[in-house]
Amino acid sequence: MATEDVRYRESSQFRLWSFSHSQLAAMRENTNAKAVASISERLSSLGATVPPSSIPMDISAPTSTANTPDPEGGGGTPRLPEFLSPADEATMVTFYTAELMRAGAHAEFSDEIIATAATLFRRFYVTNSIMTYPPQEMLVVALFFGCKAEGAFPRITDFLKTFGRERPEEILAGEFLLFRGIRFSIDVKHPFRALRGAVMELRSLGDIEETRIEAAERRAKDILRFSPLITDAYFHYTPSQIMMAALSLADRSLAERLIQATFHHVNVPEISGTNSGADTPNPTTTNTKETNKSEDNKAFIIGSYVRDKVLGTIESCRDMLSKELPERKEHWANRAVYKAQVVPLKKKLNKCHDPDRWNLVELQKVRREQALSSTKKLDGSEDESAALKDDGAVFGSEAKRRKVSGNKKLEDPFGGPL
Amino acid sequence: MGASPLVAYPNDVLQQQQHQHHRIPSQQSPFRRQPSVNPPSNGTPLLPGAGAGGRSSAPHPQPPATLDNLEQMNEDEKRKYVKGRKLGEGTYANVYLGHSRSDPSVLVAIKKIKVQKEYQDGLAPDAVRELKYLMELHHPNIISLLSVFSSKDQNLNLVLEYLPLGDLEMLIRNVDSVSYGAADIKAWMGMLTRAVFFCHDNFVLHRDIKPNNLLIAADGEVKLADFGLARSFADPGHKMTSNVITRWYRPPELLFGARHYSGAVDIWSVGCVFAELIIRNAFLPGDSEVEQIALICRHIGTPTEENWPGVTLLKEYTVPSDVVPVLGKEAYMGRFGAVGSEGVDLLVKTMILDPKNRITARQMLEHRWWRTDPKPTRKEDLPRKSGGGAEVKAAADLKRRPGVVADDEGPRGAKVARKLDFGAAKK
Ligand SMILES: Nc1ncnc2c1ncn2[C@@H]1O[C@H](COP(=O)(O)OP(=O)(O)O)[C@@H](O)[C@H]1O
Repeated sequence: MATEDVRYRESSQFRLWSFSHSQLAAMRENTNAKAVASISERLSSLGATVPPSSIPMDISAPTSTANTPDPEGGGGTPRLPEFLSPADEATMVTFYTAELMRAGAHAEFSDEIIATAATLFRRFYVTNSIMTYPPQEMLVVALFFGCKAEGAFPRITDFLKTFGRERPEEILAGEFLLFRGIRFSIDVKHPFRALRGAVMELRSLGDIEETRIEAAERRAKDILRFSPLITDAYFHYTPSQIMMAALSLADRSLAERLIQATFHHVNVPEISGTNSGADTPNPTTTNTKETNKSEDNKAFIIGSYVRDKVLGTIESCRDMLSKELPERKEHWANRAVYKAQVVPLKKKLNKCHDPDRWNLVELQKVRREQALSSTKKLDGSEDESAALKDDGAVFGSEAKRRKVSGNKKLEDPFGGPL
Repeated sequence: MGASPLVAYPNDVLQQQQHQHHRIPSQQSPFRRQPSVNPPSNGTPLLPGAGAGGRSSAPHPQPPATLDNLEQMNEDEKRKYVKGRKLGEGTYANVYLGHSRSDPSVLVAIKKIKVQKEYQDGLAPDAVRELKYLMELHHPNIISLLSVFSSKDQNLNLVLEYLPLGDLEMLIRNVDSVSYGAADIKAWMGMLTRAVFFCHDNFVLHRDIKPNNLLIAADGEVKLADFGLARSFADPGHKMTSNVITRWYRPPELLFGARHYSGAVDIWSVGCVFAELIIRNAFLPGDSEVEQIALICRHIGTPTEENWPGVTLLKEYTVPSDVVPVLGKEAYMGRFGAVGSEGVDLLVKTMILDPKNRITARQMLEHRWWRTDPKPTRKEDLPRKSGGGAEVKAAADLKRRPGVVADDEGPRGAKVARKLDFGAAKK
């Protein structure tokens, strides 16, 4: 466990995609606020020529301008639509993640492909708003890219057939967007391998019934295939923590047994339901003061401190997973839930999405044209677009980074945490 | 599996999406609002040109007025480097010299992935694989990735550490101007073995180890590069393609079409590099797969059920009829004796036919050879290529690319026919 966590710290998943709860919440609020600002701006500028009469009446009744202050003071300016709140976005991301997993299961993709696709999808929407890029397109893009990330390279036409779709350009246009949105980190670390290791370790203890181990493995695996993927678990916990949390949901005392085996040099008397380390005699657990060297004491104190921290972390991960147990699959696929929770948001979304980015194929076309028109001056000479020069600091990735980076090193070549 | 969730109850989300657009007025106003007059409510500053649409003559729909956050970050990243002259051309990328904008003395190599006309399925497999692994593997003997950005036409650029001293192949081939000995070979092999061990310890197979993928840093450090064919160790039971690793360095199990294999495939390649360093020529330069197998049989021994249980069951198992018994260490001493008896012992163990018995990277690192004299040369003192390296290399640069054929892992070469193997993506 220890060496695995050391290695985990080198991974892009840890370096770029691990956040505290408050960091993640702040990033999502920021993403939402920016989207609202830029879409408002865009809609206003687009709507500038629209005579008031052509504005659909339902967008905003004269009295509902509260959250959309009109800087022009009315006149010929269209009312802005109601935007999705960060909470609305969270619901949508959860719903579409469930859809993604359903689609992946339908295509009979491997657990790893589905899990990677779901993770990449959720990462993308940390820094991109649901209002900016269309989630129902992006989830198919994420599945396509998830195959590639896991080393399978299906032909786009065959891939699309599986989903009853026809236009490759829709997926391909979104692919690069997703790729950039996930900051080019393709490798996703999953807890599946850790579960296999845990099961082997449980077997090696020798005194646990095989049927019990198998049942726990089955349930834990089921949980791993759904719960961590539809929650924020991957953003907050390491694969082995997620695995332990799932195992603990499947069979609590087996999980405790495993923790105990890991920290066997520390007595774990407070863990119930197990024979508290009786079979792992160790000098540090014999409390004869004379024989306890100070070294051992230190190891004991550090050991129990680490163990308590680990236990606390696993417990909080367990709480998170328990909110979306595999049984919730039916919830997200339920028509009534869909009507009550999703449809209203989709209606909102139809009015408040980004007019410039919603159509991925068009967006790509426009970007390509822009690239063509600017390549002439590009090579050799420096790319001195005035806009870019002046605004390096505006969206100030630097400033924002500093705010949330905490103790992580700033000079990460990939920009540190977002 | 039941009904497709994509077309059936409960909703329409996965179906072909309607491209419902905001009602954008069809007539464009020549008087679009200046951004300064209309700051967004939360005070976020806008880019100049926002709202003005950048290019005023844009067709409908207009180009996005502003760069989004990620586009901006990408521009920032791109602006950190200045691209210079072309250093070389690989199969799927052009490599340019570059330097840091803020400190021109910091040199980098910018690897710009080519747009492959033949690959119609989006981001190409080589690029995906290379990026995937370079993002994760941080080791002194593995080329380090400093940054990634896309250029406007959606080309992918990998910013790599600049490795100015060529590659091992140049040193091996440049017989006239570069001389080296056992201590140097030991140093190079040590660096290579550590790189391979690190990959395997991280569950990554390189699958294209050969002298010209071993680049040399200014301080003499050898760096394993080109992860375009790498992949993660599959779960037991998961099939992989057997058509990897450049032929001369390809182990017998792959030549026989094995679809389940391990780190042992890389170890064989390491052994071939080891042998090549000693004799300064490719050890097993087969012109075809058939000849490659024949060379292995002749120089190492014929794979049989006796020395490799199960080998005859491999799909493409065929060997020349005159069975050669596996040669012992003594048989190698004449040709490879320069690295001493322990060195030859290690070499022989990397070339054990049965992959189950072949030495592992960890066992290699534990081998006695490293601790017997001579000690490995300090990297600063290692021989270097002389000026003519590039030309020599060009001459020696034979087409030695494995063409990966139809299978789930996608083609390496371009013109190869592809067929989808969805089976491989299934559980
Ligand atoms: N990091 C680097 N530093 C210096 N030169 C490099 C670097 N990477 C690649 N090159 C040069 O660019 C050429 C092409 O690189 P690459 O695409 O990796 O080659 P290949 O496809 O032949 O393996 C190499 O032969 C080498 O001369």
